[in-house]
Amino acid sequence: MLEFSQQVINGLTLGSIYALIAIGYTMVYGIIGMINFAHGEIYMISAYIGLITITALTVQFGVENVPLILLFTLVVSILATGAYGWTIERVAYRPLRGSPRLIPLISAIGMSIFLQNYVQIGQGARDLSMQPLISGGWRFGPEAGFQIYLSYMQVLIAVVTVIFMTALTLFIARSRLGRACRACSQDLTMTNLLGIDTNRVISLTFVLGAALAAVAGVLISLYIGKINPFIGFDAGIKAFTAAVLGGIGSIPGAMLGGVILGLSESFASAYLLTEYKDVVAFSLLVLVLLFRPTGLLGKPEIEKV
Amino acid sequence: MNTFSRNVLSAAVGAVFLGLGGVAHAADTLKIAVAGPITGPVAQYGNMQMSGAQMAVEQINAQGGVNGKKLEAVLMDDVCEPKQAVAVANQIVNDKIKYVVGHLCSGSTQPASKLYEDEGILMITPAATNPDITHQGYKMVFRTIGTDDQQGPTAGNYIASQIKPKQMAVIHDKQQYGQGIAEEVKKTVEAKGFKVVLFEGVSKGQTDFSALCTKMKSANIDFVYYGGYHPELGLILRQCREQGFDAGFMGPEGVGNKDISAIAGPASEGLLVTLPADFSADPANANLVKAFKDKNQDPTGPFVMPAYAAVQIIVDAVKGAKTEDPVKLADYIRKHSFDTPIGKVAFKENGDLKEFQFVIFKWHADATKTPVK
Repeated sequence: MLEFSQQVINGLTLGSIYALIAIGYTMVYGIIGMINFAHGEIYMISAYIGLITITALTVQFGVENVPLILLFTLVVSILATGAYGWTIERVAYRPLRGSPRLIPLISAIGMSIFLQNYVQIGQGARDLSMQPLISGGWRFGPEAGFQIYLSYMQVLIAVVTVIFMTALTLFIARSRLGRACRACSQDLTMTNLLGIDTNRVISLTFVLGAALAAVAGVLISLYIGKINPFIGFDAGIKAFTAAVLGGIGSIPGAMLGGVILGLSESFASAYLLTEYKDVVAFSLLVLVLLFRPTGLLGKPEIEKV
Repeated sequence: MNTFSRNVLSAAVGAVFLGLGGVAHAADTLKIAVAGPITGPVAQYGNMQMSGAQMAVEQINAQGGVNGKKLEAVLMDDVCEPKQAVAVANQIVNDKIKYVVGHLCSGSTQPASKLYEDEGILMITPAATNPDITHQGYKMVFRTIGTDDQQGPTAGNYIASQIKPKQMAVIHDKQQYGQGIAEEVKKTVEAKGFKVVLFEGVSKGQTDFSALCTKMKSANIDFVYYGGYHPELGLILRQCREQGFDAGFMGPEGVGNKDISAIAGPASEGLLVTLPADFSADPANANLVKAFKDKNQDPTGPFVMPAYAAVQIIVDAVKGAKTEDPVKLADYIRKHSFDTPIGKVAFKENGDLKEFQFVIFKWHADATKTPVK
């Protein structure tokens, strides 16, 4: 039972990160019906920005206040990564608006290759690593036997994820711009006719998706502490799976999909073999799609952004 | 003159120039390709290989080169990926380079070695340790490092005689090198009557190992052998120690690198590593070590001296056999012995070294290592 709880903690941590990235996929799909394959690279860039900012603050300027470092890094990373998201949409997707669906997809793959190489040239193709900023945690359970370990970092990941997800949900549900987003996802042309600048809404979607990926990137560089220009590919595939699992186009679906994916990976390595963790995760995806082709929460008519 | 004959003439003139150019060039230099990872997650090992090979090239050139020709090292990046390695091998074939020092990772050495064998290019790897590479019946393939069927038993015997684990786990990265050595270790300890209760593969590039750590902790594992490279083991160490899993860890020379301490930090303290003997500590190499230090390079890496030796063997063979034909050189290398920084070496029929010793080191959090008695 104790091991099981520990595996749940492990899975939830992993799942939170997947969910944060998955939202970027799902939002863009919800509004313009396109899979933004460069999204994984956005996450990778934000991990770099996070690691560089943290290193600069701690080593260069000798800042020791951890919450301050964290807050500053998050802000810098969200701003910079959001700018990347905006630029990518401007450069690679907007000129192709209205062209057949495959064209922006290819543009996205090109963007992804470009960004990977761009970071490789700028930062080198080698692993960068960093010692954990936040270490330690709580232990529960018998002194002699198996103790559950809940690290501060895991709690932080969960808390930050929940905060940003709530903020996003509120923003979509309550604000003017959020309403515009929902309108766009229902009918782009009609929304345009009603006098809403849809291009602006689409830009906003990219910025929001990038901002959440930035949060994931900062958290991962804090939690794992080792990054290279290729981490975006793997994470992107996993997050895309999570988005499809939960129902692409649905924000709660992306959250749910991420958590399910994280948990299934954890349980597969715990109770089967570590080799099978991806097999289990993707078999789950196939099974869900067989019985619910729109994903778990994918009811595009009712809930789609 | 009509167009046709003008074209033929210009083509002929071009060919003469190109041909002359080629000959003139070939007379000046003897090219040796140094193939390994210059970029990618395990580029640190590539560094060791490159610095060793380049030092050999510089020193040999400073002594006048080979038969009046200068050596030239041509660096090739295979990122330690099998498909990239084949592309690199093709490029070497197309560039008509006749000697290769490399590749580094076993997984990329094996597919490349087939091309070299087919094309009659001499290959000496200073780093790939998987036994299969020299068990393909190839004539052109050599190595200046030991093999995993020497390294595995060295590790396994040490575990069986010194550690005596009650519940042991063997983890690997599913790559040719990692899984190969993990299986050797498993075989050795099981032959000595110890039980391996967990034998599992992780993925190259995986970053989250917390589920695996929890599993090992709840299975009361008291010793872990990891077959693979440092990026994964570094994270395993760090995440497992955080969860309070305090079993001993051991790995092959693919984890013995400064970066493991950069990744794992204090968790890398006490890690056991099998490495080639530290050739830089050999008094006979004092001058060479100084030359490395003067260039601000680290001579202690496991592949530095073997790479130096590989270049030197090629050069000595060219001098000794008085030919540049790689096929004849391979024959010569098989029949003679060479004095190199890794000692006096001779080769078996299959291209392996007749003797090579792996030593067990204890790794420290500050990225230094001390030999274990």
